[in-house]
Amino acid sequence: MEVEFSKENFLLPEIKYEYLDHTADVQLHAWGSTLQEAFEQCGMAMFGYMTELDYVTVETCYEIEAKGDDIKGLLFHFLDELLFLFSAEPYLVGKKLEITKFDMDNLEIVCRCYGEPFELGKHPQGTEVKAITYSAMEVVQDVERSNFEVFVIIDI
Amino acid sequence: MVVRPYNDELKYLEKISDHCWRIKKGFQPNMNVEGCFYVNSRLEQLMLEELKNACRPGAVGGFLPGVKQIANVAALPGIVGRSIGLPDIHSGYGFAIGNMAAFDMDDPLSVVSPGGVGFDINCGVRLLRTNLYEKDVQPVKEQLTQSLFDHIPVGVGSKGIIPMNARDLEEALEMGMDWSLREGYVWAEDKEHCEEYGRMLSADPAKVSSRAKKRGLPQLGTLGAGNHYAEIQVVDEIFDKWSSSKMGIEEKGQVVVMIHSGSRGFGHQVATDALVEMEKAMKRDKIETNDRQLACARIHSVEGQNYLKAMAAAANFAWVNRSSMTFLTRQAFAKMFNTTPDDLDMHVIYDVSHNIAKVENHIVDGKERQLLVHRKGSTRAFPPHHPLIPVDYQLTGQPVLVGGTMGTCSYVLTGTEQGMQETFGSTCHGAGRALSRAKSRRNIDYKQVLGKLEEMGISIRVASPKLVMEEAPESYKDVTDVVDTCHAAGISKKCIKLRPIAVIKG
Repeated sequence: MEVEFSKENFLLPEIKYEYLDHTADVQLHAWGSTLQEAFEQCGMAMFGYMTELDYVTVETCYEIEAKGDDIKGLLFHFLDELLFLFSAEPYLVGKKLEITKFDMDNLEIVCRCYGEPFELGKHPQGTEVKAITYSAMEVVQDVERSNFEVFVIIDI
Repeated sequence: MVVRPYNDELKYLEKISDHCWRIKKGFQPNMNVEGCFYVNSRLEQLMLEELKNACRPGAVGGFLPGVKQIANVAALPGIVGRSIGLPDIHSGYGFAIGNMAAFDMDDPLSVVSPGGVGFDINCGVRLLRTNLYEKDVQPVKEQLTQSLFDHIPVGVGSKGIIPMNARDLEEALEMGMDWSLREGYVWAEDKEHCEEYGRMLSADPAKVSSRAKKRGLPQLGTLGAGNHYAEIQVVDEIFDKWSSSKMGIEEKGQVVVMIHSGSRGFGHQVATDALVEMEKAMKRDKIETNDRQLACARIHSVEGQNYLKAMAAAANFAWVNRSSMTFLTRQAFAKMFNTTPDDLDMHVIYDVSHNIAKVENHIVDGKERQLLVHRKGSTRAFPPHHPLIPVDYQLTGQPVLVGGTMGTCSYVLTGTEQGMQETFGSTCHGAGRALSRAKSRRNIDYKQVLGKLEEMGISIRVASPKLVMEEAPESYKDVTDVVDTCHAAGISKKCIKLRPIAVIKG
């Protein structure tokens, strides 16, 4: 669903993700000082694999919702929603993600995705993401040290 | 996973012939049958090295080696014969890629697993012949490559140019290549040379989520990215003159076109949806597997049937997809040579599916049984006289199309009786990755790869530059090793070797 937003005081987050080795696929590794941040970063990591985010400007904003049965399921469905946002109307590339509702009791997420529709010629073609997998998925929650990390293998 | 020291692991593996290893029960828990894998000495090294690396204690975030995955599949309910690894095997999601397994349809506990098919349902290879020779194409090679690149939408975010609306899609999902034929994109005889005649009758579009349809609609008639490609190739060597002439390949230098693509976002979403559904079904039916990724459901459960019907729709999507690109390829060639596809004799030699599950009859322990055969990164290779292969190939055996990787050779094999007995009529599908994508990007230089391709006289058009490194030949197992192993083991027979002169990739 498209939502309104203001371009004033719009800040881009710093990058807290990397791409790790996997024979046929790629593993996303994202981190943050909250689990919410790690999730946001993980989503951006996925968009960053499909194209180069430097070429993406923030023109529009869409809101997505995701639910899960457990924390891994939530991460899975969150990323699957983002993948769908890119794969069909509005073909959105998210440059910045902002989770506005992160309900760990009911395992629900609402997230705002800022970016623009993918356009050939303007955005370099990266690698196509086929699917999100549970393969070697890990969610590290170290509350004491405020260290939160997620590992996800995406099928490409 | 059971982790033992490497030397203890080796006790469960036994070399039973020059090209085949046996995986004994106990290698992984609850194995119902034994496993096996086909390798030559070089591939054997890669295989054992992968196992050795996984045996390091305290490794985190790693993945299961292919051998372990074969054994986990052997522990699935209802499996018959053996869980089989083909020479191009590498670690995958649940099932290894290059793994085939058959399940007894009459056993109520038998399962179907989307992981045994893969995310790219009915990913496959199609080969078109022409009556052109290398000398005809050489002078216009660059223009022809560019034209093909302009005709076929490739890479992330590209959209199909075949006009399609939601209703057309529903029909295409149900009809497969019959739709393409009705709409005038293919020739009637093209269907003859496809597995299942390009249409799975069990397809039911109503079992497919609207999400999958939304992902599929804009992508119909697109090549995709990753390891998918369209290549102009020339015949480099003919091993079996008689069989190749049945395929319309007469001599060295003849030009053919190979298209490697699948069911795009449509199939990916069908697989994703099924995995989510099956997780629930597994809990309900108390199906235990060694690996969470081996999500599966009883064949005769609602989830199992829904998946098989949706998978068949995705298979139809893939055939329509390859057919649409066949149409575009014929157009590109006809324009370039100022003639018609007909006059260029651009017939489909064959079209294989290497990510699919099918109901087939096989002889097990002397009795004919109906099986659900999963082939993931494995190609059907039926022997001569098999009723499911077209009339034209009744005497040669089914053509098997094995795609190499960017800049390497591809092969046409034929199915054998021995393959029918040993591997449920299955063989390899391609080169199989050896290096991870990230490693390829770090270690391989973009310019070097392109320089090398140019030296070899191969024109190339790639949408994504980083793909050049990821898909460089060095990242893959040597396809010749893979094919030679299948030939030496007797599970399929070499017929034609093809060499690329132009590559188009996502």
